[in-house]
Amino acid sequence: MTASPFTRLGTRRALLAGCLVILAVTVTGCSGNYTLRPQFFWDSLFRPSPAIVNGLGLTLGISVVAQFLGVILGVFAAMGKMARFRPFRWVANIYIWIFRGTPLLVQLSFFYYGMAAAGLFKWPAIVIGPIDILPEIFAGIVILGVNEGAYMAEIVRAGILSVDPGQTEASKSLGMTYGQTMRRIVLPQAARVIVPPLGNEFNNMLKTTSLLTVISVFELYNTFSVAAGHSYATFELMAAAAVWYLLLTTIWGFVQSGIERRLARGTATSSSGPSGPQGPGWRTRFFGRSNVDAGVGGLGGH
Amino acid sequence: MTAPNVASGGLLGAIGGVPRPETDVVVDARDVNKWFGRLHVLRDVTIQVKRQEVVVIIGPSGSGKTTFIRCINHLEKIQSGRIFVNGHLIGYRESGSGKLIEDKEKNIARQRQEIGMVFQRFNLFPHMTALENIIEAPIQVRGTPREEAVVIGRALLERVGLAAKENVYPNQLSGGQQQRIAIARALAMKPALMLFDEPTSALDPEMIGEVLEVMKELAREGMTMVVVSHEMGFAREVANRVVMMDDGVVVEEGTPDQVFSAPTHNRTKVFLSKIL
Repeated sequence: MTASPFTRLGTRRALLAGCLVILAVTVTGCSGNYTLRPQFFWDSLFRPSPAIVNGLGLTLGISVVAQFLGVILGVFAAMGKMARFRPFRWVANIYIWIFRGTPLLVQLSFFYYGMAAAGLFKWPAIVIGPIDILPEIFAGIVILGVNEGAYMAEIVRAGILSVDPGQTEASKSLGMTYGQTMRRIVLPQAARVIVPPLGNEFNNMLKTTSLLTVISVFELYNTFSVAAGHSYATFELMAAAAVWYLLLTTIWGFVQSGIERRLARGTATSSSGPSGPQGPGWRTRFFGRSNVDAGVGGLGGH
Repeated sequence: MTAPNVASGGLLGAIGGVPRPETDVVVDARDVNKWFGRLHVLRDVTIQVKRQEVVVIIGPSGSGKTTFIRCINHLEKIQSGRIFVNGHLIGYRESGSGKLIEDKEKNIARQRQEIGMVFQRFNLFPHMTALENIIEAPIQVRGTPREEAVVIGRALLERVGLAAKENVYPNQLSGGQQQRIAIARALAMKPALMLFDEPTSALDPEMIGEVLEVMKELAREGMTMVVVSHEMGFAREVANRVVMMDDGVVVEEGTPDQVFSAPTHNRTKVFLSKIL
């Protein structure tokens, strides 16, 4: 093991230094005609307006529901793709083909504005108990979910295929139906393979919701965009928006590694150390692997 | 609810006595033919297994013995012939003109409830503890209340000598322990027939004995069993009948004494000379 200056402590210092540079730029201002107004940045982080809080809630809420929808559709599309009955395979393949083959932005405009313009379909407002869901939000959730389902299908299919066929045989030989076998035996085991890429998908989803701006949903980005249009504090506000997104995705990263550790029960080496099958823990994930056990530096390696 | 009676001894005591097959002939396979593509793996196989009988199928690898036992619970399709278990045609219904039409998945699942199967590679569910493995099917398939399934499951674990392992996941158990739990899992469905597909072939030598002990116990208690195995000692001790298969054909069958001591067919002699 050769000594290297990039220990874990060093990595953490590098991270701190990076933050300080950003801070310095923000506080001291920069050249040109642009006058920095840092309070726009700090206020929208620490004293967020109701509009920002609302946008944050929408981004999170829409992401969760759309991802949930995407997983459900993905499971069905995956089973459709693997079905023995041919028409099921056709339907699944056409669905995946269309929604993976066209831009989400086009899908949003087509299904929201296009359908309405042609008089084919107008998205309704939805009322669920005390919650009113505006038509554009409803449309956004459904279109994001359907789009996501097409991507989840391949992930779920790979997960199902990773399960030993002996599991299905054992389950069938006990008299379980196809549905019971899937639900109780195959999918729980496939989950271990599905969850890591699913985590990436949700991370993406959190950020992709910003595209809903095009159908005038006031989620996080749209809220900041409008505020920037009013105040011209584009630099400060977009930096603040970025920090909010970073916060969401970072928290999700922690949640995800927790879920992965839980799913690792019953695997061959689940009692092993921090880089066992449950994947890297949050420290490793965040600060990179220390060179002591990985041989190379993590963040800020060079 | 009334507590299930698991007090009486033995493995079958744990599931409330010897499950009664409905007919005297539990397995009735007639002229079964199967092809894998062009390969003719089962050729007019006819085997009958009577109530409480233990039949051991032997033969070289590739002889079709495993394929045959998998046809009995329709894990493999057959192309012609008929297999009846408890008098019910397995996996198919007959069209007016006598052609075989594959049955609905639900009906096949119902038929499999009566047929327990133990696999070479155990196939325990790795995401469930030993006890959860055993109670899963009774709860999901038979609709047994959970408390009752747990009582029966614990009794079975105790009878296979693994009462202490109830909350342990399969990966923390030895092969022999896993296979004993797999047997308990199959028994929990109270099957009328048990199929064993080379149950000791994947085990280290020192663990074979503990699994065979459980199987012998089961045979003594009167379970109807079809066993694909190379364990000649087991066959001699508990089999009522030994069936020798080679190249997809039943070459000869008889009592263990007849087949092992005085084989009539040359292929049996050759096979036995290699294995004994």
